[in-house]
Amino acid sequence: MNAAVATSVFGVFMVATVALGLLAVRGRGSQGGLTEWSVGGRSLGPVFIWVLMAGESYTSFSYLGAAGWGYNFGAPVLYVLAYLSCGYAVGYVVGPMLWAYARRHDLVGITDMIAHRYASPRLGALVAVLATVCLLPYIQLQITGMGVVVSTISYGAISLYWAYFLGFAVTTGFVVVSGLRGSAWVSVLKDVLVIGTLGFLACYVPFHYFGGYGELFRRLTEEKAQWLTFPGHTSGGLGESWFITTSLLNSLTVVIFPTTVAGYLSARDADALRRNAIALPFYQVLLLVPILLGMAALFVVPGLTGAGSNLALFQLITDSLPAWAVGIIGVAAALSSIVPMAVFMLVIGTMWGRSVLGAVPRLAGRQKLWSQVVVVAAGSLALLLTYTLPNTLVRLSLISYEGMAQLVPMLLLGLLWRRLTLAGALSGLLAGGAVVCWLVFTDRDPLWGVNAGLLALALNVAVALAVTYALPAPADTRPDDEVLAQEALPAA
Amino acid sequence: MSKVPRVFRGRRHLLWLLVPYVLYLGALPLVNRVHPVVFGIPFLFFWMLAATLATPLAVWLAYRGDRRRRT
Repeated sequence: MNAAVATSVFGVFMVATVALGLLAVRGRGSQGGLTEWSVGGRSLGPVFIWVLMAGESYTSFSYLGAAGWGYNFGAPVLYVLAYLSCGYAVGYVVGPMLWAYARRHDLVGITDMIAHRYASPRLGALVAVLATVCLLPYIQLQITGMGVVVSTISYGAISLYWAYFLGFAVTTGFVVVSGLRGSAWVSVLKDVLVIGTLGFLACYVPFHYFGGYGELFRRLTEEKAQWLTFPGHTSGGLGESWFITTSLLNSLTVVIFPTTVAGYLSARDADALRRNAIALPFYQVLLLVPILLGMAALFVVPGLTGAGSNLALFQLITDSLPAWAVGIIGVAAALSSIVPMAVFMLVIGTMWGRSVLGAVPRLAGRQKLWSQVVVVAAGSLALLLTYTLPNTLVRLSLISYEGMAQLVPMLLLGLLWRRLTLAGALSGLLAGGAVVCWLVFTDRDPLWGVNAGLLALALNVAVALAVTYALPAPADTRPDDEVLAQEALPAA
Repeated sequence: MSKVPRVFRGRRHLLWLLVPYVLYLGALPLVNRVHPVVFGIPFLFFWMLAATLATPLAVWLAYRGDRRRRT
């Protein structure tokens, strides 16, 4: 009975999701081409931008990992809050800067910007391939995250394997047709459900189990004090210096992350992005809810280990709420996988359609079509690997963020400083990337308590500067205005 | 090299954007503690909540600076 109710609620909302995603582009026909599909025709206002970018930041990790980290370690999970808030502050400058650059030169993503900045389509193609390697694991994380949620909230009625497929099918079902605009529309449904259900849980769970927040905090302080400060409970080196360096690195990386940039580029004007940078941090207050409830689960369902601890939050939910409510919360969590997954697939498609396949003269005429083909291909590949070699992508996901961070100098320093050469930026990228792979795959991250990606980034910048100054400046006759970023002027 | 990139020129108010870095990261060694408990909340978690609420204010101050410069 429970399974039937929760599964029905879930099914209805999944159909609604695809319908909403497709409705987003009703009446627009096939006009606009790649710019319409990849970045919503650069036409989204402040509300849609907020909904979309908040939607991207609140992923399946927020429901599963944040609660799981809270349950296992406690305080170290706060890095998510710290890097997102700092990242929004940096995004106040970087967002409008990238937006204006892309608009001025008709670009649709970071690989495109890099190709333009260094006047090298080949470099754009190379970066697209490297970035894809970093992004594919995220699609799998969303697929598996959604699978776990769906099979839990359906009380096992939907098996993991079917749940994985559902996640892929629902996402592909709308994003191929409606692109970023469809993702923004689905984000509206998602944010309403996420804010509603987390707000409810924040009020309900502490009172249901503890009689109120006072008692929950009192018990945490008295019995679980280890969870309440760094380095947390048995976190294995996630101390203060790890927190500071990781938050610093991630806050610089999140502003150039291809999915974030897709959000920036979709804005109608630069001011929408600036206002958005003010409003976005409020959404992060919601992140405290799964963190806190993960810690509350310590008292209610003690003894969860490994992957089981990721379900800390859902254990509380299925234990204390009726099936229809479990179903709705499951929908909110599933949409938190679907929206980011859609944007991940979209940016991979865009990078390949524009910078890899689009750079081949014979194929360049159909960039949007190639992007759509790659979306399906990338999603299918991630799904296939989830079924057959799940550990490959899990292992790869360890380098995803720290690897993507190595693009920061090439993109941001490159847009601000004319002297930086292609040879310098590329040498830095390869050196930084190599160090990340080496430190992470030999289990040396964090090294001396410092995030390995930040150490690699320091080397990256040093190599980029050294190579730039060691070699003669290349003859690029374009004026600075053509190559460097400008401050985005306010809308006329 | 001494030339400030055009994006930052004349925008000293952008320094407000460093506020979240100071609150979350710079202050961490001072706030990494359970006591004093504020409104029942252990201190580190209270601080992080306060920093999260202070960030929009800091970004708004930067925004205000940009607006003033333009008018």
